[in-house]
Amino acid sequence: MTTNPLLQSGPPGSFYIAPSLPAALDALSDYGAAGATFAGGTWIMRSPIRHEQLKPHYVAIGKIPELSAIRIGTEAIEIGAAVTHAALAAALAGLPEFGVLTAAAGRAANPAIRAMATIGGNLSASAFAAADCVPALLCLDAEVEIASRSDRERISLEQFLKMRSSLAPGRLLTRIVVPRSARRTAHARLPLRQSGDYPVAIVSLAVDVDPANRVQAVRIAVGSIEPVARRWVRLEAALLGHVLDPAQATEVAAELVDEFTGRDSVEVPAWYRVSVLPSLVRRAAIAALGS
Amino acid sequence: MALTLNVNGDRRGFTADPVTPLVDVLREQFHLTGVKPVCREGFCGACMVLVDDRPTLSCLMPAALAQDCEVRTVEGLAANGTLNPIQQALEACDAVQCGMCFPGMVVTLTHLMKATPGATRDDVRSALTGNICRCTGYESIVEAAVRALAAT
Ligand SMILES: Cc1cc2nc3c(=O)[nH]c(=O)nc-3n(C[C@H](O)[C@H](O)[C@H](O)COP(=O)(O)OP(=O)(O)OC[C@H]3O[C@@H](n4cnc5c(N)ncnc54)[C@H](O)[C@@H]3O)c2cc1C
Ligand code: FES
Ligand code: FES
Repeated sequence: MTTNPLLQSGPPGSFYIAPSLPAALDALSDYGAAGATFAGGTWIMRSPIRHEQLKPHYVAIGKIPELSAIRIGTEAIEIGAAVTHAALAAALAGLPEFGVLTAAAGRAANPAIRAMATIGGNLSASAFAAADCVPALLCLDAEVEIASRSDRERISLEQFLKMRSSLAPGRLLTRIVVPRSARRTAHARLPLRQSGDYPVAIVSLAVDVDPANRVQAVRIAVGSIEPVARRWVRLEAALLGHVLDPAQATEVAAELVDEFTGRDSVEVPAWYRVSVLPSLVRRAAIAALGS
Repeated sequence: MALTLNVNGDRRGFTADPVTPLVDVLREQFHLTGVKPVCREGFCGACMVLVDDRPTLSCLMPAALAQDCEVRTVEGLAANGTLNPIQQALEACDAVQCGMCFPGMVVTLTHLMKATPGATRDDVRSALTGNICRCTGYESIVEAAVRALAAT
């Protein structure tokens, strides 16, 4: 086995464990394009495998109390960007309206990854198409807060997904804000093995139904099919006002599924990802009705 | 960058890039070759060690983040040379085949026994989700863990 070149002498990198948010923002601003945020590291540490250069400077945010907190309020929940998947799943376990997010955070990857990987990293890794928390948070109408040394702004997750790959140096995703409501939610994912793998396809669903199960409002997000997760607006429109019937929802999904162009990859061909979507819609509908 | 790590009770300084994966430091600086870099992607679990008592994939942990932590590898799990209960059960059940996955299996299961003494067969399976074995089909490993749990 060859020696890791990082153990030999070479241009030394730096690794700053920030004690506070202002300290992290200062460091990121000072490093500019030569620096990056280091959250759980489960994406960054695999850079060599993707033939990507590591950054010369990293600013670790995992020890910043403000970014590791979850606040459950009456109107909304606020999740610090450095909250791990495991901590998030545990904190939301008793709140069925967030079942979709609990499942996304609690069933992704494997236990050791869930204890390291953060929600902020999951949303920020722009080249990662199979992120579970992205569709889950899309269907919950989440907003994110971005901070820099000089300002803070709140934008929708949809907007963030459009600009995240060009997020200016020195800017950090700090919080995710998810409104509360008495909706039913479900997260249907298909990994190749029962667990531990990336999902081939994901359907996240949040739905309000009346006592007759008629759909009053619905949000459906699809992940892992295309490079970036997105809402399935045509399916939402087709279900609105009708009784939520899993079999019928599957048929409608099958009629509309052509709008997706699947990603090709070594694990599965593009057509396969798209072909499983209607079944995942059925599973999500069954789970939401049972929730 | 000058770094210092505490591994199996041994404290040692060395120089490395701070994002060097912990697995490489353990093998090449501490000569603890029980920990295996197999996939380097977080999928196989062969590099699992305990960092502050938590099962951690050492291929994904930068050495700089392990400073000030207590790292324990499979070599540090047999106190005074006596195999711990899960190691004894794996041996008694003849669960080992090629052995590549075993350091990681032992680390994960040692933690499970300590953290969840009442763990069920399903808990054992869930805990092992991130430990891949190419040889055994898992049943003998799960059986050994269940026996060790029952004996505590
Ligand atoms: C074996 C394995 C299996 C996996 N399975 C799944 C799965 O089933 N489902 C799933 O969703 N994911 C899965 N993942 C991916 C994992 O969830 C991501 O790697 C993880 O969420 C990234 O988070 P992190 O905290 O480790 O990010 P890091 O690696 O620390 O960072 C990722 C990127 O985001 C940037 N970044 C991080 N935090 C911020 C922030 N707050 N603001 C701005 N930029 C930031 C970093 O600079 C970097 O570019 C798996 C990973 C592994 C290794
Ligand atoms: S080498 Fe670390 S998980 Fe495979
Ligand atoms: S015994 Fe060979 S990989 Fe598990």
